[in-house]
Amino acid sequence: MPNFNLSLSPEQIEYVLKPGITITQAYEVTNNSDNAITISTEVLAWQPSGNNGNISYQDVVASPNIIFSLNNADIKLGQTFSLAPKAKQQLVLKVSSAQETSLEDYYYTFFVTQQSQNTNSNNAIGSQATGKIGSNILLTVSNSENTSIQAQINKFTVSPKIKDVFFTPLTFKAEIKNNSQNFFKTKGTIIINKNDLKIKELELNDNNVLANYSRNITCKDQDTCTIQAPFWPGRYTATLKLDESINAPSANISFFVFPFSIVAILILFLAIFLTGFKLRKRFIEK
Amino acid sequence: MKPKMINKTIKDMSSLHQGRMSIYRQVGFIFFIFLFLITPKTISAQTFTSDKLKIQFGNFNMGSGKQTGGGYSLTNTTGQNAPGQFSNQGFVLKSGFQYIYDNIYPFSFQIDNLNINFGDLTPDVGSTASNNITITTPSRRGYQIMAVANRPLSSTIGTIIPDATCDSGTPCTESVSAPWTTNTAFGFGFNATNTAGIGTSAYFTNSTYYRHFASLSNQETGQIIMSESKPVKDSSAKITYKVLVSKFQPAGSYENSISFIAVPKY
Repeated sequence: MPNFNLSLSPEQIEYVLKPGITITQAYEVTNNSDNAITISTEVLAWQPSGNNGNISYQDVVASPNIIFSLNNADIKLGQTFSLAPKAKQQLVLKVSSAQETSLEDYYYTFFVTQQSQNTNSNNAIGSQATGKIGSNILLTVSNSENTSIQAQINKFTVSPKIKDVFFTPLTFKAEIKNNSQNFFKTKGTIIINKNDLKIKELELNDNNVLANYSRNITCKDQDTCTIQAPFWPGRYTATLKLDESINAPSANISFFVFPFSIVAILILFLAIFLTGFKLRKRFIEK
Repeated sequence: MKPKMINKTIKDMSSLHQGRMSIYRQVGFIFFIFLFLITPKTISAQTFTSDKLKIQFGNFNMGSGKQTGGGYSLTNTTGQNAPGQFSNQGFVLKSGFQYIYDNIYPFSFQIDNLNINFGDLTPDVGSTASNNITITTPSRRGYQIMAVANRPLSSTIGTIIPDATCDSGTPCTESVSAPWTTNTAFGFGFNATNTAGIGTSAYFTNSTYYRHFASLSNQETGQIIMSESKPVKDSSAKITYKVLVSKFQPAGSYENSISFIAVPKY
C-alpha cells in the first residue's frame, strides 16, 4: 500500500541578514517509508493567521528581492528527484537578499512534496492523496543585528476573576502586539503577588510575535498559563512583564479568592446542627 | 622513672613529633606549589579546527547516565559549566545534555494510505473510505495540518460529484464543518477525528461533522484540519471520506487529488 512518511529537519530557521547578503541552510529530508519515492521542493511565502501561530498561504505575494535556490550540484529547486526507502538527502537552500531589499521581515516555508503515484484502477471513484512537509523560514533584513522593537500587552485577563480557594484553576491570557517591523520572542514572566509577596511565577514560552501582528501568550510546560488551586483567601495581583529588550510596558490585573466552599460547608454543618437541635427540642417537649 | 620525668619526656616527644609534622607539612606544601608551577598547564577542553570553522569545547562532562527505578527515570549530566538555555537574536544555546530532549526527534508527517477508493456507489446511500495521518513535532509551538484538493471529484468528460454542503439548515463549507447525516444531501466531503478529539475537535466537533475540501480549481488554498500548540509525538487522526450520490449522477470514473500539508507553527 503506497504511503507517505517524510521527516524534515530543521523545522524552522530564523536569520537576520543584511541586504545583498547570501546565506545557506542545510536541510535533511528522510524517506521513512519502505517505498522509493519521487519528491520535489518549493518555497512559498506566508502570513500569520490568527494569534496562535497558525500560517496562511492565501493571497500572499512573495518579495522578488528574496531569492531562493538549492546549492546541491544535482538538484535544483522545483526539480523532482528520487529517494530510496529509508534514505536521507541533504538539501542546501541558498537564500539571497538583493541590495535593494526593504529593511523588514520576510516569512517563507521550504516545502518537500511527495509526487502523487496514481494507482487507482480505471472506472474507480476515489481520491489520490499525497503529502507535503514544510520548514519555516523567518528572515529579518536589517543593517543591524540588534533590531529596534516596540510592543504592547493587550487583553491581559485572568479567569475566573473571583474564585473559591479550592477547585477551578486560574488561567491567565494576554495578547502581545508587535508594533515594529521585525519579529521578536515573547520572553517574560507572569508574577502573582499577595500582600506584596511573590506567590508564583510563570515563565512565558518564547513564541515569535511577527511584525505588526499579535500573538497569544503560552507558558512553559503547559498549553496555557494556568495555576492550580488551592489558594489562600484574599486579594492577589498579577503582573505580566516582558523582557526589557522588547520595550513594552508591563500590565497588571487583580483577582480575589474567597473561601466560598469552606463557608458553604460551615453553613451546611450549622444547618444540620440547628435542625437536629430543633428536632431534639421538639422531641423533648413532646 | 618518676611520674614528672615521664610527663616531661612525653611532652618533649610530642613537641618533637609536632615539629616534625610541621616541617613535613611545609615541605609537602612547597613540593605541591613546585609541582603546580613546573608542570604544564592542562585544561579540560577540546578544540576542533578546519579551514572554515573552529569548535571549542569549554569543558568535558565528567559523568552522565540514566537511572531508572519503580516509577521514575532520571538522566544526568555532571560537570557541565553553566547548564541552561541561552538565547539572543539569531541563536539559541542549550548547554547540558538534558536540553537536547526537546529536539531529539525530527519533524515528521505520515499518511498510511494514499489510495482512497470508494468502490461501486449506490445512489442515496453514503459510502465512506478512510486513512490515517500521523505527525511528530519537537517544536513547543506545535503544528498545523492543512488539506486541499486539486478539484472536485471529476470524470474525464468533466462531470463532477459536487462538494458536500452537509445537512440542509446547517451548511458546511471548505472551512466550516457541520453535521451530515441525511441521505438527501449529496456530495463529497470528509472529516478528521480521533478518540479524544486532540487536535481535531476545533475543526470537527465529532464524527458526524463534515466539510468539503478546499479546491485549487476554485482558487482556494489549504484549510487547517488539525493543529496543536505543543510538541507531539505520533499524534494521529483518522480521515474519513464520504461520498453520497443521487440516482441522477452519471456512471463513470470520478477522481481527484488531495494534498495534506504539515507545517510547524511559527
